[in-house]
Amino acid sequence: MTSYLRWCVLQKKVYLHNEKDNVAVALEDLEPGDTVVVNRNGVKKEISVKEKIPFGHKIALETIKKDGEVYKYGALIGVATKDIEEGSHVHIHNIKSLKYN
Amino acid sequence: MEVPEIMGYKREDGSVGIRNHVALIAVDHAGAPVVEGVSKLIRGTEAVSHQYGRLQFGKDLELTFETLIGTGANPNVAAAIVVGIEPNWTGKIAEEIEKRSKKPVRAVHVIRKGTIEAIEETAKHARQLVSWATELQREPCKLSDLIVGTKCGASDTTSGIAANPVIGVVGGKIVDMGGTFIFGETTELAGGEHIIAERFETEEGKKKFLEVFNRYIEFAKSQGADILGSQPTQENIAGGLTTIEEKALGNIQKVPNRPIKGVLDPAEKPPGKGLWFMDTSSSAQEQVTLLAAAGASVHLFSTGQGNTVGHQILPVIKITGNPITATKMSDNIDVDVSRITKGEMSLEEGGEKVFEYMLKVCSGKLTAAEIVRHDNFAITRLYPSM
Repeated sequence: MTSYLRWCVLQKKVYLHNEKDNVAVALEDLEPGDTVVVNRNGVKKEISVKEKIPFGHKIALETIKKDGEVYKYGALIGVATKDIEEGSHVHIHNIKSLKYN
Repeated sequence: MEVPEIMGYKREDGSVGIRNHVALIAVDHAGAPVVEGVSKLIRGTEAVSHQYGRLQFGKDLELTFETLIGTGANPNVAAAIVVGIEPNWTGKIAEEIEKRSKKPVRAVHVIRKGTIEAIEETAKHARQLVSWATELQREPCKLSDLIVGTKCGASDTTSGIAANPVIGVVGGKIVDMGGTFIFGETTELAGGEHIIAERFETEEGKKKFLEVFNRYIEFAKSQGADILGSQPTQENIAGGLTTIEEKALGNIQKVPNRPIKGVLDPAEKPPGKGLWFMDTSSSAQEQVTLLAAAGASVHLFSTGQGNTVGHQILPVIKITGNPITATKMSDNIDVDVSRITKGEMSLEEGGEKVFEYMLKVCSGKLTAAEIVRHDNFAITRLYPSM
């Protein structure tokens, strides 16, 4: 019961489009200290949220080094312009388009 | 794969329709008040009305004609009456509809009669044709005999998470069972065009697609619009979209991940089954109109913020993943898949929900847009008239 309650209170929902992705989409506003869980290739991973991430925005599921590729929908959506820590907000401040900029 | 049955109308030309309208088609502005008037007088008719058709030339005129002919030939139309200012063009359009679809077609012109006499003549034809058409019965047909279209409009974050991927699931099912599925929106693919290009079955198809795409981008540029540089928009960025690739990929989710047969010209009927790309604008009413002219008999439309588009003869099923839109705009929305956005429903479950709803619409259930009469027939103009 305790563990169930803990799950209800702390675990927030994110959407993983494709198992190849290294970002997921927040399905509710995420706050520092919240936990999200993703299941990739049969491996469950718990990620602790580092900063505020609004609904619809992306969270890094692992550390992405500067110039590292960012995948969503199983496809390349851009590259990191700086190191991105696991659990942080991924957006215009730390990734850029590869096609046009 | 098992192909579900729907209760549709088998047409003379072998196509299957899901509606049985007598279409009143205006050739031009002179035909417009006639078809609008008669549609109010005679039950069972639908006015396909617009203000173009005069002093157009070249490819632009051809596309207007193709749109009118294709709309008349669409399997959701049992019979058509074409109304225009003079007998020549009016007769040509009527003849071509008859030739392509083998359905009863009448032609009425306005000069030397006047609007009121033309209304009387059209109404008399319409009365007879409706009486004839309503004797036709729905019968079991294969879903795979239909042409299904798709598009998204007024998109937001929820479109990429829920409504578009759900359409992708349904579209994949339709293609796998031997059906026909068409997508378009040339400019909306910008940023993801390389992904679509790679999915063409032939090198020729890929080449034609990239030509069409680049032509659009260059044309926009020549008009001072930077389609690529202006994406994603400030609104998209606020919603969480970061790069143009990401935005395009959200749109592309509604295109099933299957080989693409080829590129269709605007309003062109697909020459075979499978997945097709049509060169269309991203304006909802123009795209839906071009797909109707290509013979689509049902359309799956994803919306985030709540686009209201519909069409006189092509039922448009509106799907949203946005819980606020689903509640606040329930009179415009057909299928609510917002539980996906809340993490409470899988894409497969969402796909099942849309698929079941589509089967009902194919057997006669009216869509939200049909009920509130979103009759958004809109001709795509390629350039100004003479």
